[in-house]
Amino acid sequence: MIDIGTGASIDKNDVAAVEGAIRQAKTKKVNKEKIDLAFVFHGPDRASSAIIKNTSALLPNVPVIGGTASGFFAHQSHSKRGVVIMLITFPEGVFLTTGDVEGISAMGALAAGEQLGDKLLSGFKNVPRSLALLLFDRLTQDNADFIVGLQEKLGTSFPCVGASISNPEDSGRSDLLYNKKLLRDACAGILFGGKISFGLGLRHGWKPLGKPHVISSVSGNIIHKIDNEPAVRLYEEYLAYDFPRIRKELKNLSVLYPIGIKIAGQSEYLLRSIQAINSDGSLVCRGNIPAGSTTRLMISTKETCLEATRAAVDEAKANLGAQALKFHREKTSKLVIVFDSFPRAASLGKDILTELKIIADAFEPGTGIIGVNSFGELAPLSTQSYHGQTYFQNQMVSVLIIEG
Amino acid sequence: MSDIELLMNALGILGMAGSVGLGIWVVFLISEIKQLRLSVENLKHTLDEMDEQAKLVVRTDIELNKAQEELDKKITGLYTLQNLSRQISSTFDETQIFSKVEPPLLADLGFEKAVAFGWDDRHQVAQVHLCVGFSEAEAAAFSPLLEAERNHFEKLIRDEAAISSISPTIDQKFRQRICAMFRVTSFVIAPYLPKEGNKGILLAGAENADTVINEGDEELIKILANQIGQALDNARLFEKTWQAHQELENRVEQRTKELSQAFEEIKRINQRKNDFVSNVSHELRTPLTSIKGYASILLSGKLGAIPEEAHKRLEKINKHSDELVQFVNELLDIARIESGRVTLKISPFNLKNIIDEVGDMLTVQMKERQISFSTVLPDAMPEIMADYSQIKRVFINLVNNAFKYTPNGGKITVRVNIVDSGIQVDISDTGCGMPEDALDKLFTEFYRVDTAINQEVKGTGLGLAMVKHIVEAHKGKIWVKSKLGMGSTFSFILPKSS
Repeated sequence: MIDIGTGASIDKNDVAAVEGAIRQAKTKKVNKEKIDLAFVFHGPDRASSAIIKNTSALLPNVPVIGGTASGFFAHQSHSKRGVVIMLITFPEGVFLTTGDVEGISAMGALAAGEQLGDKLLSGFKNVPRSLALLLFDRLTQDNADFIVGLQEKLGTSFPCVGASISNPEDSGRSDLLYNKKLLRDACAGILFGGKISFGLGLRHGWKPLGKPHVISSVSGNIIHKIDNEPAVRLYEEYLAYDFPRIRKELKNLSVLYPIGIKIAGQSEYLLRSIQAINSDGSLVCRGNIPAGSTTRLMISTKETCLEATRAAVDEAKANLGAQALKFHREKTSKLVIVFDSFPRAASLGKDILTELKIIADAFEPGTGIIGVNSFGELAPLSTQSYHGQTYFQNQMVSVLIIEG
Repeated sequence: MSDIELLMNALGILGMAGSVGLGIWVVFLISEIKQLRLSVENLKHTLDEMDEQAKLVVRTDIELNKAQEELDKKITGLYTLQNLSRQISSTFDETQIFSKVEPPLLADLGFEKAVAFGWDDRHQVAQVHLCVGFSEAEAAAFSPLLEAERNHFEKLIRDEAAISSISPTIDQKFRQRICAMFRVTSFVIAPYLPKEGNKGILLAGAENADTVINEGDEELIKILANQIGQALDNARLFEKTWQAHQELENRVEQRTKELSQAFEEIKRINQRKNDFVSNVSHELRTPLTSIKGYASILLSGKLGAIPEEAHKRLEKINKHSDELVQFVNELLDIARIESGRVTLKISPFNLKNIIDEVGDMLTVQMKERQISFSTVLPDAMPEIMADYSQIKRVFINLVNNAFKYTPNGGKITVRVNIVDSGIQVDISDTGCGMPEDALDKLFTEFYRVDTAINQEVKGTGLGLAMVKHIVEAHKGKIWVKSKLGMGSTFSFILPKSS
């Protein structure tokens, strides 16, 4: 079974915080010596360099992955400050490799994806691989190319799950942590394989509102025209705000009312929040838009968001159940990794704790749960009818269960 | 008609019928299409209507969200303010008060930066007491900048007025300078106004241009500044009280030291007195022994018969010598007990034995004067641990005193009770009693109550002092109750295991 210990600290001293969190995590583990993987997330109030330096000093030879996050949680405790560390020991028969790639923009997303794929594959050889878990430090415009590059190496329909953990508006204060390094414009990944099962569930909780509109002109992540009108007209009409006001309040409006893209054959709409509005009225989205799509304005309530969390957990458990007979082990346990969109968490407000309770209550006591508030999530749109197409999504909660 | 014509006619009829049928079908189709068009129009109309409703829903939702956001912000702000107030009130250290305004709490109030500063008599420039959200170098550079705006800030303190970047009355140039000075886009400034001591300014600012502040924020910062002012008052009051307390403690310590020195001096003098008394007593005893010896020889007639008058004088010399010896012995005993040179010979015994012995000693004299002597003792008299001979001296002294001051036909009672702290002995008489103001001095050496009877009854004034020393050497206590003409009761307690 997977042996997991989690520790957290808000000690003002970074060194003491790391020491405290590791000590706490170790006390909760059965095997205190053998550690296969460590997740480390810390708030923007911490110096990343001190966190990684002390973590790697206290956990020599342990692969470390994590980074600066605007919010993170372990079990039912959510924090925006301090540090949380999860130490994991996998049972015999589980294999994992880790890798990183830095300078994605300069290298080109496709090549960067391929390079990470090569790194992750080294050492795997004949072991059947199951899942790639990826952490990005920021949302890259050409992320789809990165995934294509990665899947070129891992398999064109290989499941990839991940998120961008750094706040794009917090530039300069976000770092990705990988082993002893601080990474920028980068991706760190873990490739899992062997006797391990996983189940993924994801939802956003936003519902379509009003009639469908045709995206008549789009390039990459920029929607120029909707129904042959400047794209911003959609917001002007529905909100009854003029263009300057929409621009001024965009940050908030984008979270509350993203647009949903209807994908053929999928029941769940692909969400796109608006990053900026150009002066010609075109909308710059966080993620690419398939050409010729129809779109609708999306709306949510706290209840629909929490309902979505329940559905994501149920979906993850159902998917895990479908893989239950992949291997036999006397006793198993679960590791739950959650990527919960920061804007979504912010709109939940204090109800974020209700969301964490929903997740925690869905699993046996003692199940290791760790999560971060992300800025863009990477996952297939539908995990049940998975066809290898991985989308970069917005405002999702994705629940990944790993059982071993 | 030929067959061909018949066939043609038949076909013609069929064709006509077909045409008619086709026409009817076309008419039917056109009607259907019209119906469908109408339905589509209706659906489109309904969809448009629903779209309009959707727009209303979105607009209402925006308003609700804004109201909810405001409410959440206020609740969070109030909760944080309560938390901060509790923390600020928990310290009486002025510097600690400001350090309680930590970045996380400030963030919960909706601000990233805060500065508290003021002017005092000791410094020419503004003193910064709190600096959150700035580097040390930035904080160090504030003083001259604040100096430039001193008039503005002092006016706010004088007017006891808070101001914010959204205040309609704010001087726009001042607003811009504040924004530039603290690198904020919005701010609230509120004075903290302790009743005593230096006043100051609390500034809370937001760097993020998206942060929208309102009157509620202004009110929150104003309340926080008030709390700081009150906490400063408390701290200063505490400081004053503490200093007064400290001063008092120092005085008490000084006085204690002086008393201790005086006590040591008294002890030293007392020791010298005891040594002197002891030496003098020893020196007196030798010639006294000689005087008494020679008087005895002369009285015995071994040196020849002496005249009657001389015999009388010699007997007086002998008697006074005995009294002087007793006096000297008592002085020596007191000196020994006081200086701790007497080692008590502690052993278990029953007090009843002493009481009986003392009673026997005085039986003859009491009969002569018709004084009744009675004892009231508990059924089971416990043994005590004490020096038998010293306790016997206590009894002899006290019973003898009672005998001396009790008139003929009077009564002396010795009562023993077992009490919590030990065994209590009360020796009561029906004698002349003593005035109340004499009781305090009764156990002092050489003190004798100034009464007519004392002119007749002789005494050294050392007996009761010695009794007190003996009882206290046994860790006991002695006291007296008496009223003039009503007799006296001398009581003492001896611990059971003294």
